[in-house]
Parts: sequence; C-alpha cells; structure tokens
Amino acid sequence: MVSGTFVEAPPLALAGEAGVRPASRETGRSRARRLAPPYLYLLPAVVLLVVWTYQPLAQTFVLSLHSWNLVPSTPMEPVGLANYEQLLSTPELGRSVWRTVVVILGMLPFTVLIPVAVALLTRRVRGRAQGVYRALVFAPMLVAPVAGAAVWQWLLDPSAGAVNRILGTDVNWLNTTGTAQLAIIVITGWHVAGFAVLVVTAGLAGINPDYAAAAKVDGASRGQVTRWVTLPLLSPTLAFLVLMTVLLSAQWTFPLIDTLTQGGPVGSTTNLYYLLWEYGFRSHDAGLAAAAGVLFFAGFIVVAAVLTRLAERLSHHDD
Amino acid sequence: MRRSLPALASAVALTLATSACGLGSTGDGGGAVSRAPELDPGQQVSIVFESYNFGQAGAWTDTFTELIAAFEQEHPNISVTAQKPQGNSANPATDTISSLQSQLSAGSPPDVAQLGFSDLDFTVNELGALPLDDLVGKDTVQANFDGERHAYAPPARTLGDWEGKTYGVPFVFSTPMLYLNTKLFADAGLDARRPPRTWEEVRDAARAIQQRTGKDGAYVDCLTKAAKDWCFQALVRSQGGTVLSEDRSRLTFAEQPAVEVVRSMQEMVREGVMPNRTQMQAVDAFARGDLGMILESSAIQGTFLKGAGQDWELGAAPMPGFGDATPVPTNSGAALFVFSQDQAKQRAAWELIRFLTSERAYTTIATKIGYLPLRTGLVEDPEGLADWAARNPYLEPNLEQLEHLEPWVSMPGPSYLRIRDGLMQAVENAVFQGADPAESLRSAQRDATALVPGGDK
Repeated sequence: MVSGTFVEAPPLALAGEAGVRPASRETGRSRARRLAPPYLYLLPAVVLLVVWTYQPLAQTFVLSLHSWNLVPSTPMEPVGLANYEQLLSTPELGRSVWRTVVVILGMLPFTVLIPVAVALLTRRVRGRAQGVYRALVFAPMLVAPVAGAAVWQWLLDPSAGAVNRILGTDVNWLNTTGTAQLAIIVITGWHVAGFAVLVVTAGLAGINPDYAAAAKVDGASRGQVTRWVTLPLLSPTLAFLVLMTVLLSAQWTFPLIDTLTQGGPVGSTTNLYYLLWEYGFRSHDAGLAAAAGVLFFAGFIVVAAVLTRLAERLSHHDD
Repeated sequence: MRRSLPALASAVALTLATSACGLGSTGDGGGAVSRAPELDPGQQVSIVFESYNFGQAGAWTDTFTELIAAFEQEHPNISVTAQKPQGNSANPATDTISSLQSQLSAGSPPDVAQLGFSDLDFTVNELGALPLDDLVGKDTVQANFDGERHAYAPPARTLGDWEGKTYGVPFVFSTPMLYLNTKLFADAGLDARRPPRTWEEVRDAARAIQQRTGKDGAYVDCLTKAAKDWCFQALVRSQGGTVLSEDRSRLTFAEQPAVEVVRSMQEMVREGVMPNRTQMQAVDAFARGDLGMILESSAIQGTFLKGAGQDWELGAAPMPGFGDATPVPTNSGAALFVFSQDQAKQRAAWELIRFLTSERAYTTIATKIGYLPLRTGLVEDPEGLADWAARNPYLEPNLEQLEHLEPWVSMPGPSYLRIRDGLMQAVENAVFQGADPAESLRSAQRDATALVPGGDK
C-alpha cells in the first residue's frame, strides 16, 4: 500500500508541472480528499437512517397516492389524491381525532399530576421503605399490557366484577359508549404512571439540594420550597412528560383497546392509531392507511414543534 | 448550511431511488392455471399448511398434529410443516388473511391455507387462490366430494365455489344453535325439553328466567362487530331479507327485513331480557351459568360443556325463527385453499386436502373436536360416527339445520371488511346503544355503497 502511493505520486507531480488543466484536476481531487472524510464518517449513519426511516416514509407517501391491497401479485393502481379525499370526507376521521384529544387530556393526570405528587411524597420517606414504595408504584409497568388487560376485564365484568360490587352499580364499563373510553384511560394510566414517577424521580435527583437548603436558611417553609424552587427546576422534566403524553398516549392505549374493546362499542374507543391500524391491517387498504399516516405525520410534526417551542419558553434551566 | 446541501441531496436521492422498489409489482396475477401432474412415488415434496386450529391449544392442535402425522405416514414422500397464522390476536382465526397477505408479499405463501367463507371473494379475487378445477381437474374435485363411502352434504359442496369453479374445499363447519342452561330453565318453571322455537318464545322464556331466578335471560351473539355478520345474515334470511343483492352489486341491509330484525333485537335489550354484553362477556357468563340462553356457533360447544360440568346441564335447540317462517341458518367455518406456485407442491397440497376431508379425518375431527362432519352419512355408519352420534345429544339439531342451510355471503371487493364492519357497527349501535334501527342501517349502507365495486356511488 505504502509503496504504491509512492509510485503513484511522481507522475501526478509531473502532470502538475505539465499544464494548467491537470493542475486544476489535482486540486479538485485533493479538495475532495480533504472534504470527504466527514461525509464518509457520516455515511453509515445516514444510510441506515435513509433505509430504515426516510425510505419507508417516502414509500408511505408513494403508497398514499395508490390503491393497493398489499398483495404483490395485484398491481398498484395510481389514484392521485383520491385516498386523501376519501379520508377527509369520512366522519370517522374527525371523530377519532376528537377521541385522541380526549385520551391525551385524560392521560395528563396520570403522567404529570400523580407522578409529581408521588415522587415528592416518596422523597420524604427514608431508607428501605422508599425503595419499596417506588417499586410498588413501578410494578404495573412490568405487567404485560395484555396480561393486565385480562385482569382488568375480570374486575370490570358487569355481573361478577369487583368494581361493580364495590360501587354497587351494574354498569357494563367496557361495552357502554359513555364509559369505555374512561376505562381505557384509567387502565392505561395505571399502567404508565409508574414510568412517569421514575422520570420525575430522576428529575428530582438532578436538582441541586443546595437551592432548597439556601431557601430554608432564608426561612422558606417546605411548601414554599416546593412551589418556588423544586417545581420550576423540575419544569424541563414536566415539559418532557407532557410532550411524551401528547405524542404517545394514543399508542400506549393500543394494546388495551385491541384486547378489551377492539375499538368499540360502536367505535367509541377508536382513536387515530386504532383507525390507522384498522384501515391498513384489517381492511387491507394500504393506500388509505398510508394517506392517513401521512396526514398524522404532518399533524404531529406541527404539534411537536409547538410543544418544543413552548417547553423551551416555559422551562427553567439550572445553568 | 450550504455545506450540508450535498449530503442532504444524496440522502434524498438515495431515498427516492429506493422508495419505488419493494412495493407492489406490476405483473399480472391472473391467467389460466395449468394442470399439476401426479407425483412420482419417489419424488420428495415438502409443503406448508397454515391453519388457525394450530393457534388454539388443547384438542384443536393435538387433533391436527395427529392428522398430519397420519398423512405423512400414508404419503412418505410428502412432508408437511404445520403453522398457525402470524399475528397475536386472542382469536387466531382473525389473523388468517393478514398473515397470508404478509407471506404473499414476501413471496412465500403457505401451500395450503384454511380460510373463512366470509373472505371468499377476497381470497379468490385479490389473494389469488388457485382454482382446484384447473389444478387437478373437475372430475377429481367432484370425486373427492362424493367420497369413498359417504358424500358431502349437498349444500356444503359448493360453499368454496366462485363463478362455477371450486377454489376451496369446505372443511370445518358450524351452524348457529340456541344453547340452553337446563338448570335455569327448571328453576324458572320452564321445560328445557320443549325449547323455544320462535323469537317470541325466546323472549317469554328469557323474561321468566330473569324474573324467577335473577339471572340474565338470553343473548344473541350475532349483533356486534366482533361477532362478524354470519349469523346476522341468518337472522335477516329468516325474516325473508338479504344483506347483498343476488348480483353482488348492491347492498340491501337497510331494507325492511333487516330493520325489523334489528328492531326486535333492540326491544329485547330495552325490556332487559337481553343484557348489554360483549361477545366474550356473554360466552363467559353462559359458561359460568349466569345466562339462560345464548344463540352461538356450535364451534363454542366445547367451552360450554366444560363450563357446565357438575353445576348445570347444557341443552341445545336449532336456531329460532320469526313467527311461523322457517328459520334459515347460515354456516360459519372455513375451507382449504391452495396457494403454491410450484407444480409438485400444488399436487402435494391437493393430496393433503384430500386426506383432511376424507372419511377417516372427519371421524377423528368430529370425535376429538366436535366439529360437524360434512360427510353427514358418517353419523349413521357403525364403522364411522354412529356410536359418537348416539352419545352426543347436541348433534341432532345441528344436522337438522344442515337441510336448509344457506351460505354465509362474503361482502364484495377489496374493502369487504369495512363494509362488514360498518354493517355490524350499525347493528350494534341500534341494538345495544339505543340508536334508531332504520336510520342507523341506512347511514351505514350509504357509507358502504361507495366501497362496493361497480356499485352506484
């Protein structure tokens, strides 16, 4: 290798002396050699990103302009914007967007309020009991959603279930349009609250205790310290949790909806993700599902941009 | 910013270059299928058999594994790999089509697949199941239906046909039955040996059970999206209506007969004699002994028998009708289809189908799982199922129904599931959530009409 380079170098140098044109080619080549390494280093990452993320995204877009049932032997028919037209004219889409908003609002207490309260309270518990409390709160997260759903189904059973016996009601929680969504939200909340507590606890651990100590020296009560020192410093964590809730709530509910209500009764628990899945994998309408996916993608980009902007503005950073 | 442009441009170029590949092909799927020649005795072939029965633990898997072993012994040159559909639904039967689709898109479909009758249109026209009449000859297919000793029941022979050609061999099969809890009947002062024959009688019996025992009266498992539309079609047919016109171009489920069916079911819920339950809740409640009657597929009978045990006894009656009209049951169940591309595999697939629908296989399937034998003569054959039939009191109403059975009509076009779901959601909305039946069905039919190929938009 090394000798090869040596042998190659002299003719290049000679060519350089010979005229103007080869000289410019030589500088072009050396420029390329100078500029290439950063791109070469980036190349593996970019290729993977393109193959696994951007290419499917582009394919989704292409697919959204076709009518196709996912079977390779049937040709894809280009249909222009017909899928988008059909999608925007179905009342199902609007209803499922609204249900998604309800799920997000319903999840916020479980991902923000309760975790903050629990994390602040468990902080006061000392010693081994603290670990036990945290483990208890985190435990539901470790239960597989489908297994948890089976137990909840049993608890919510209209004739033999514990919930109805305790409340003295005879509501069929999962099969009444008014209560099914509530049941899904509470079960999902029960499931993810432990994770949110973990995030808040990590956020609290990252706050320098000197601030609280200083405030106490100045005569601040425990409540005042929490309100004016801890919570503002926790705001980046809370903003992160809100962002997660907005973007992921509908996905968290998916396994529960699939096992407990299948989007019913009468579509009352069909949110965006469930609708998307029904179009693509139950109705085998790849074009329509892709069009819905593209619309949601665009929608969530806007939502995420707004939220990150807001989070930047509202958060206090301990720099 | 300017520096990153080349990188961005190349990323975009790479994306565009790769985005076109990997999606649908433009090759034509149709065309005549040539005859698959007989296998040489020494020719080794391996095939894949996909059936949702392998996803159901216990009797189902065990029986099918046993049958496959017997087949391999009989055909030493054919080896069979059995698999369940890909996916993780609680009920593996709901994964069949999506599983097949993903394997077709990967280019390696199973050679034999067991698929439901409701998917027939899609299976033949979109998934490209092979016509058995072309593959092995019409005579061979008909000879298999005639059997060695016992022929298929006449209404069962044509259930897997499409435009005069046989694509699927009907395999397992069930009809809607009215199951009774005889203990609740006795407690309510009713005679379970004289079960209700009409829906009016069902309603009266349910009211009596509810008032005298405090348990729930009756549940009709044909009225929700999860139940699919098979026995709803039976109810509508019994009332003299249809859900789809004869030429498959027009939906007819918003017409008077269907509306009347939905209205009478809604009244049962309003009066409180039919509880508001999901399919799963109702099946559980009946198995527990908390429900007097349930109209249910005979495929669930095993679950009920297990639940009955010591505490109560299971009774069964044919599907009730409306007034004096004869009830028209429809069948649920599945047929066996061939998807292999290779000729040797196609022939081996046919051999497997022939074995699985033979007298011998049906004897095993009926005794071990309880499915109805489609070769009905077997139940009188002392060498076949005569013993088993004598011990099985639930068989008679089921066989009685086979006489006037009508096929479960599959919805048309590639969006057939959205049509079916739309219909059943409208039914559910009216019956259990109190919406107006006529209005609910009309708006569902209006939405679904655009999905019917060749339907008026």
